[in-house]
Amino acid sequence: MANIKKEKSREVSIPSSSMSDIAFLLLLFFMVSTVFVQETKFWVERERWPMADSIERIPRNHTTTIYVMRDETILIDDIPTRIESSDDVFVANTLIRKKAEDPELIVCFRTDRETKYGVMSDVMRQLQDAQTLVVAFETQRRMD
Amino acid sequence: MNIGRKRKGKAAIPTSSMSDIAFLLIVFFMATTKFDVKEGIRIVLPQAADGSSGKTQSLALTENEMTRLQIIEDGRISVNNEPPRHFEAGELDALIQQKLRVNQQMIFRVITDREATYNDMIRVVDRLKAADIEKISLSTN
Repeated sequence: MANIKKEKSREVSIPSSSMSDIAFLLLLFFMVSTVFVQETKFWVERERWPMADSIERIPRNHTTTIYVMRDETILIDDIPTRIESSDDVFVANTLIRKKAEDPELIVCFRTDRETKYGVMSDVMRQLQDAQTLVVAFETQRRMD
Repeated sequence: MNIGRKRKGKAAIPTSSMSDIAFLLIVFFMATTKFDVKEGIRIVLPQAADGSSGKTQSLALTENEMTRLQIIEDGRISVNNEPPRHFEAGELDALIQQKLRVNQQMIFRVITDREATYNDMIRVVDRLKAADIEKISLSTN
């Protein structure tokens, strides 16, 4: 008589020894890509930006951000300033320095949508004086 | 008497909970990560007008070459010196298309009052950009 033995069912297991490697890889990715947003007194929340449809992505590596608040305070390089007369050239001077460091500089505006256009016009005039001509107005994407 | 030397246990750091710790940290970073993607309307400003160099020249442009969109302080828009009125987004699109039919190379000059809001200007520039117009001039009065 042939020896017919029932085969013992083998234990099936997923190898999990590399699990921690994967976990640490993911961990490293998130650690590197995390940007902790520091909220300061001078800040224009995303909800206060204007809405638009025809928006495009702005490459981050050549940008500098100028915040313009409703009370016409301008924040550049975390330094608040105001343009009250044609002698207030802090924005232009800062941009001339930045333009020398990065000739492909793009100036991003994070402006409160209720801001009067006059102050924006004054800032843009200083941009022209500093030869930084590429600007981007940051907007929210309109969700219809 | 049986005095045996105690066998030394092998020293090891328990690593079985390592992945738990790692996943905990991942969850933390995933929850706090904010990808700061910049999106907006991109415009290239003209060179600063320098009167002394004599590089600038004045051009007299007709209504068939340039459309003036004047935004007054309450957000109403005056097109080519017509009486100002409120424009809905759809109406603005229709107006732009109508002007483009007259001239494909039409220049749009957006003149925003200093007292008008930034939002009013962006609203108009957004519609112009939506129509793929590159010749946009921004100015104020």
